[in-house]
Amino acid sequence: MTGELIAAMNYASLSEICDDPEEVAEALEHSAGERVHAARFAAEGRKIGVDVANNVDAMHWNRLRDAFLRCIAERDFIACLIVQEIMLESFAVASYSRVGKVAPGSLGKTFASISAEEEEHVDHAMSILRAERALDVQRFDDKVHRLHLDVMTTLAKMLAKECKDGHCEVCHGSCVKPSLSEVSLSAAELRGASLQQYLKTLDALGLPGEVTLTWVAQLPV
Amino acid sequence: MTVAGAFIANATIASLGRREWTRDVDFALVGHQESWRAAADVLAVLRGPEHTPLPDDEIKDILPWIPPRAVCHVEVGSTNGAKARGLYIDSFIPPDRLEAANTLDNVARVRGAAAYAIKAGAKIVSLGGFSSILMEGNFDQLPERHDTVFTTGNTLTVGFIVQGIRKMCALEGRNLRNSTLLIVGATGDVGSGCARCLAPGVKRVLLSARNVERLRRLAAELQADGVQVEIATDLQQFSTEADMVICAASLASPSLLLGRIAPSAIICDAGYPKNLSPSAQMPGAKIFFGGLGQITGGLRFAPDFHGILNRHPFPDVVHGCLLEGMALALERRFEPFSHGRGFITQERVEEMETIAARHGIYLAPLYNADGPVDPLLERMNQPVSGKEWYAR
Repeated sequence: MTGELIAAMNYASLSEICDDPEEVAEALEHSAGERVHAARFAAEGRKIGVDVANNVDAMHWNRLRDAFLRCIAERDFIACLIVQEIMLESFAVASYSRVGKVAPGSLGKTFASISAEEEEHVDHAMSILRAERALDVQRFDDKVHRLHLDVMTTLAKMLAKECKDGHCEVCHGSCVKPSLSEVSLSAAELRGASLQQYLKTLDALGLPGEVTLTWVAQLPV
Repeated sequence: MTVAGAFIANATIASLGRREWTRDVDFALVGHQESWRAAADVLAVLRGPEHTPLPDDEIKDILPWIPPRAVCHVEVGSTNGAKARGLYIDSFIPPDRLEAANTLDNVARVRGAAAYAIKAGAKIVSLGGFSSILMEGNFDQLPERHDTVFTTGNTLTVGFIVQGIRKMCALEGRNLRNSTLLIVGATGDVGSGCARCLAPGVKRVLLSARNVERLRRLAAELQADGVQVEIATDLQQFSTEADMVICAASLASPSLLLGRIAPSAIICDAGYPKNLSPSAQMPGAKIFFGGLGQITGGLRFAPDFHGILNRHPFPDVVHGCLLEGMALALERRFEPFSHGRGFITQERVEEMETIAARHGIYLAPLYNADGPVDPLLERMNQPVSGKEWYAR
């Protein structure tokens, strides 16, 4: 849920640097869509008696938001898309789709349908990013690498099997990771699926697989 | 490697990857790691010395999720000065998931690696070891290819197995003609190729495999050439013991050979993974790892995976199946030399050996889990190339 709220904030910020009114409208529409996702997760939580915690100022999320805001400060639309659509959404699509497969009833359906909507966002961004890469491959790949070091390092720490930097400030010390096994999932599986989705997305953009493999291999665990 | 050296190496990887990606890719080698130790070593190189190596449990958690992709660039040299450039593509089949229960998943991974090779524009793709076993009867399952051809590499593997048997006979003073040859996994592409090459030159052949029908067909083919053949799905059913053994399929347990082979039998472990080693149970047996060749014209990896992707006690030793693609690339013969199952003949093996030798690719020095098996090499206690051995 925190991720959806961060995404909503990111798209709202993105709308502020768009010049084209159509792009502004689209960014705001995405922002509203992400707020709806957050509301749907909260509603699903209420159905099963869970007050879904969220904290956009929590340690890792705050860092991810800061990374995005640096792209906004540089008015770098492409960097914003890379951070939100390639990096953060890889994590969202992979983890939601896996929860969608194991969660029962409407909870599973909600996760699956939000995963599908996020995937549509990614597809849309991919065509813009492919065109941008075609203009200057070296410059584009260097930019992805710079953002990877910033954003994916934080995401990798979030996805680590154990939280080595203390508790994440979202779950109030009651970490969800150890209980994932109750729904036939594990932190390792969610991390693996997320990194796989990220690598496949970078492949689809055309980045050399042996280079992106090195990037991912160097992430913290 | 120093930290500074590693930094330069990693910087080179990033820029080299981009720069060379656009170059011609003559060949692609599809493989995977045989053990978790090997997988850990590969990931350690990729992480670089400035990052702590991943703990074993993390490697086991992460590796199965890595999609098939290139791990490094490979450049092979011919002794005639020619060079061919390629990629090593890892299918990232987890080392503990080679059993039949994982076949569908593993075929999908090899298909993914094949698709990657096609996308990279490889002109010829060699399917290494287990990938070759998975696909030899399933070539139609490979992705649609445009200007890319695939070879299982089995013809050169057979060539090096047969050369290895002959070399061991010479080392041990044995006469192949008086031998009873047992082939385990005889109906596979490699096993049947070995049978066609060696059966006419031995006293008797014992063929073992799981499929009786295929065994009967192969036996009939060899008998038509006047070879004495016996077939069995169970090693214990053979009427006589063998003094020459080729294990073209990994044995469920090496002890299955006990009681069915002569105490001083020559045994070629050509299976995948190789699981035979000199033991107290077979103290007199002469075991060697078969199907390996050595490049004498130069082999370069970027980043440097020397001794990691090719984990052998001698330099530039590579599995015959992978060498076949490299030899064909050096020869500029981009054709599916080995494909399907059961088409390997002595003539094709000789043709492939000639191509390989023309570029300085020879049988590797023989060794097993304990080290070199050539007494000369043991005395010298240093690696000697196949070419030097031949010269001697």
